[in-house]
Amino acid sequence: MSELPRDGLVAVVKRDCPTCVLTAPVLGELARRAGITVYTQDDPSFPDTVPGPVDDLGLDISHRLAIEIVPTLIRLDAGHEVDRTYGWDRAEWERVAGIAGLGIDLPRSRPGCGAKNVEPGIIERLKIRFNETGLVSRRIAIGNDEDEYEAMYARGWSDGLPLVPPTEERVLRMLDGTSRDPREVLGLVPPDLAPATVEKIAINAVMAGCKPEQLPVVLAAVEAVLEESFAMHGVLATTMFVGPVVVVNGPIRRQIGMNAKGNALGQGNRANGAIGRALQLVIRNIGGGRPQEVDRATLGNPGKWTYCFAEDEEGSSWEPLSVERGIAPGKSAVTVFAGFGLQGVVDRKSRTPESLARSFAESLKTLFNVKSAPPCDAMLVVCPEHHRTFREAGWTKARLYEELYKLCEIPGEELVAGAKGIAEGGSASRIGTMVNKFRPGGLMIVRAGGDAGMFSGIIGGWSSSGPRGSVPITKEVKR
Amino acid sequence: MADLEARGIPTVGVATTEFIQGAAAQAKSLGTDPALVFIPHPVQDRTDDELKQLADDHLEAILKLLVK
Amino acid sequence: MTVLLDPTSERSPTSRPRLPRPEGLDGLTIGILDIAKSRGDVFLRRLGERLGERGIAVRHYAKPTNTRPAPLPLAQRIATEVDLVIEGLSD
Repeated sequence: MSELPRDGLVAVVKRDCPTCVLTAPVLGELARRAGITVYTQDDPSFPDTVPGPVDDLGLDISHRLAIEIVPTLIRLDAGHEVDRTYGWDRAEWERVAGIAGLGIDLPRSRPGCGAKNVEPGIIERLKIRFNETGLVSRRIAIGNDEDEYEAMYARGWSDGLPLVPPTEERVLRMLDGTSRDPREVLGLVPPDLAPATVEKIAINAVMAGCKPEQLPVVLAAVEAVLEESFAMHGVLATTMFVGPVVVVNGPIRRQIGMNAKGNALGQGNRANGAIGRALQLVIRNIGGGRPQEVDRATLGNPGKWTYCFAEDEEGSSWEPLSVERGIAPGKSAVTVFAGFGLQGVVDRKSRTPESLARSFAESLKTLFNVKSAPPCDAMLVVCPEHHRTFREAGWTKARLYEELYKLCEIPGEELVAGAKGIAEGGSASRIGTMVNKFRPGGLMIVRAGGDAGMFSGIIGGWSSSGPRGSVPITKEVKR
Repeated sequence: MADLEARGIPTVGVATTEFIQGAAAQAKSLGTDPALVFIPHPVQDRTDDELKQLADDHLEAILKLLVK
Repeated sequence: MTVLLDPTSERSPTSRPRLPRPEGLDGLTIGILDIAKSRGDVFLRRLGERLGERGIAVRHYAKPTNTRPAPLPLAQRIATEVDLVIEGLSD
């Protein structure tokens, strides 16, 4: 790396800048009359008006001098900067140089150009090289002989699928996706109760395949699962099927290209997939929660890879889930729900809302076990064609909720252990009473899916639902 | 060793003291924490009886690293 | 060389902590893997004998050459046949 002179004039220029080209004769003048060291950012032969322009193609000097505009003229004295000016301005240059009559053939002033060292991409690399990133996570050096993808697997960071290597550059760029401080702690992640800093979450978001603009949604989802009443430790440690399911509402869906339409709960959309995956990686890597360790799931469910989708709000006569749950309309928000799987509801014949509601209810009543009530919370994902039936009949969401709860009342005698020849079931004390399949507030309804197809879905929940277990949590997305 | 541990098999390595530096460097670069027992160097020119004695002398240390 | 940022809570001083060990050796099988450096076999056989005297089940394996890692079929065999491994003798 070049050394700066302790005293005298220093200039930083680039050939690809008309103002630098304009001032080339002035630099020559300064070289003759006072001596000057000129550093060039792009072409070491520029300017040819001075005897030896110094190559700063590596941009080290430019970075150390904090150059933002070229040309910049600096006066140094005993190793310190005493004055500087940027762009071309005769009066300014004469003052900094301490010399009168500079560039008399030139116009009085001309603005400069953006310096190379502050271009996007380059500034990150320089910060990394000079260790100024502000990133505090441990650095792990992967030797040239080791494949970095295998190295990440070997260190246990993966959910089983390949990860994007979280280099300093990628993590810095990911952190551009939020204005939050990388050191901000969102909460303690179970089971290890380790702090989830924005930086650590960003690292996992890079590995998951997120783009920086998706990070705010990941942050909101992490905040939500770390709410005490979501009971993340229990949700992780259970032998049951569940994992966090993330539903996204508001303008952010379109802004980051989420899928609320065809195959919304399936593969193919980067935002859907990466956001859900990032959340799972946070639990695994920051929290230390892994299958067959603290995670005791017997079967689990494929949603534990990733389970995140956007609600189809456009053209819906129903309020979005987030609005139903208290977020102001037009705001972006996530709702997390301890859920699993997808039970399909096929109904291609119902023309009335009553009949369709019964299809839904009969399917809902099989959740966990026909003999089980209440088994869990549930989310009903209504496809657009089914929603149309309700919209055309003028059924609000509230009306559908009311109907479903009514239809999910079950005579206690049908639920008693042993009834229907099934040993599973409840106490005989429920005979003569009506028992609801769901606790009050245990159902959520969202709209999603492609426009063709009369196929809705039910996402089942966790056996410990409600005040003594996990409740769904909604959080606003903050950039 | 790292491969066997990656396959779920707790492993203890036995090496001569000559290998101490190399083992540390390898562990640092791979980010591993291998369980190792070191026996005095050299080994190549020892008699069978000497080697058997070394095995007897170090058995406990080896077993200690295989259990909790 | 690639530098990655650690995504974990960094509670572990290294990135790949040792596997948890069993409480004791009862009922377990120990594999003894000879990495094929000279004289190691004598040392390892003796270990095997002493373990046998204590009633611990032992299986012996050998790498075909010490210059390369254990070939895949060998590593897979060992992983399915034993619970613990003693590997030696590096010098």
